[in-house]
Amino acid sequence: MIEDLVIIGAGPAGLAAAKSASPYVSRIILIDNNPRLGGQYWRHLGKEWIDRDIAHFDLETGLTKIESVKKLNNIEIWSDTQVWNAQSQNGEITLRLLRQNEEKVLICRKLIVATGAYDRSIPFPGWDIPGVMTCGGAQALLKGQGVIAGKKIIVAGSGVFLLPVASGLVKANANVVELLEANSGTIFNPRALKLALNLSKLKEALSYLAAILKAGVKPKFREAVVAAHANAEGILSQVTIAKLDRNWNIKKVRTAECDLLAIGYGFTTDPGLISALGVAMKVDIDSNVVVKVNKNHQTSVSNIYAAGELTGIGGKDLALLEGEIAGLSAVNAKVSLRLRMKYLVAKSFANTLKKIYPIRNGWMNWLEANTIICRCEEVSLAKLQYSVSELGASDSRTAKLLTRCGMGLCQGRICSRAVVDLVSSQLEQPASEKDRIATVKREVITPISLGVLAKDK
Amino acid sequence: MSNLNSNMNDDSSQLNKIRSANQEIVEFTFDGETISAISGQTVGAAILQSGKKALRKTRFDKKPRGMFCGIGICFDCLVKINGVSNQRACLVPVQSQMNVQTQDGANL
Repeated sequence: MIEDLVIIGAGPAGLAAAKSASPYVSRIILIDNNPRLGGQYWRHLGKEWIDRDIAHFDLETGLTKIESVKKLNNIEIWSDTQVWNAQSQNGEITLRLLRQNEEKVLICRKLIVATGAYDRSIPFPGWDIPGVMTCGGAQALLKGQGVIAGKKIIVAGSGVFLLPVASGLVKANANVVELLEANSGTIFNPRALKLALNLSKLKEALSYLAAILKAGVKPKFREAVVAAHANAEGILSQVTIAKLDRNWNIKKVRTAECDLLAIGYGFTTDPGLISALGVAMKVDIDSNVVVKVNKNHQTSVSNIYAAGELTGIGGKDLALLEGEIAGLSAVNAKVSLRLRMKYLVAKSFANTLKKIYPIRNGWMNWLEANTIICRCEEVSLAKLQYSVSELGASDSRTAKLLTRCGMGLCQGRICSRAVVDLVSSQLEQPASEKDRIATVKREVITPISLGVLAKDK
Repeated sequence: MSNLNSNMNDDSSQLNKIRSANQEIVEFTFDGETISAISGQTVGAAILQSGKKALRKTRFDKKPRGMFCGIGICFDCLVKINGVSNQRACLVPVQSQMNVQTQDGANL
């Protein structure tokens, strides 16, 4: 049987796409790799949890959205399902899935991909010590598991996401001792005026800030965690915090104790699946590899659509609009002028945010020769640099092949952006679009055991 | 009402406000030690809730690693569950009597 429409990813964009396409098509399959719908933004606990919305800004809207999609009879929901391979040929898309530990094959005529993004990490000495976690990870534990992962917490990095992470933690009564933003405060940025014009976003940001200040946490700007230190058991016990200059070079350091460091530098798109389908990609202004789409969110492969963070980091509001546009377009329904206008405003807001929170090159000076760059394959900075200076690697792909940097189980999802930056810095030439796009191409989207593949064959 | 989270935080200044009600407590072992989880929690969440942070040892440097991305991207939280290696602790839900072990090096 060939399906008319499959949607991958049930975060804000995927849910909006499913809902808008639903009236125009007989059946939709909505695939998601989590047990519950909602994606990272609306990750939530079950009904049996009291105060389960405490770490959220507005979970109610998300739950309403999820319920409204669940109620639609023609949407079949496949949760807990991972797509490990995808191919497009002669107008048909073949998806190989892992569902309940069994491989399934699904063929469809039209596909909407909304696989979102995850935290962007930049390496620093000790970032591999247990107790150092991404902001998204600390938040997922809180929102999805009801767990506060430490007794003394530092939230650090750059970007607006630090606010909901810190705010969620303090609202759940976690002991947050520091909140550090590596860029300067947005209040002094002329671009912030433009942001303040978005009243609903302003309201959201102020609610986070109010919770943080109420808990007695004073956010510090132009400060970053530049090293993490372990105790005798090898577990996080202390960090080095630096005052930074404009380019993030270290000016002055101090130390602070903590057993959890939640750290994040914005987001990295997760285009592994869609790039396997041969759609054209480009590099966004924040150096993310994103999917090229037209105004209907159609990709260069005409029966494949993309929405949400995959087409440029923009947050929940933009993702909802893009999902709606992609959903309507995929079933040849009309996209209203009103929807297009709302999209343009949200997109412009997202692009302004990217400019306010740039990642400055000074972070490369925080590293030491033995700092791990590739966590999976335990490749140090010294080994990576040796591949360039002594083995003659002239681009990041060659450096990767010579060092195994980015060739472990995560397939470079965590380190490849940093590897591209480090290699191009050493070569003293800007990273090419080709270099960056090469880092997201993966034939096997998620590792799969040969045992599962061999079953029933 | 069971309130595993609060019970597990002995420091009274840090009572987790997200509480669970009438939930089944599931027990499993991590390197032989019994750990309690609220039904539905992942192996990784339950271990972190118990105060432990190291989940595996790396292949070359034999260094401890814990949960990093928390959402199935980074593969740093690999543990051995009921004898099967390379399970992402952040994704696998706890089941009663599970035998979870620190993964030592690569088990490819």
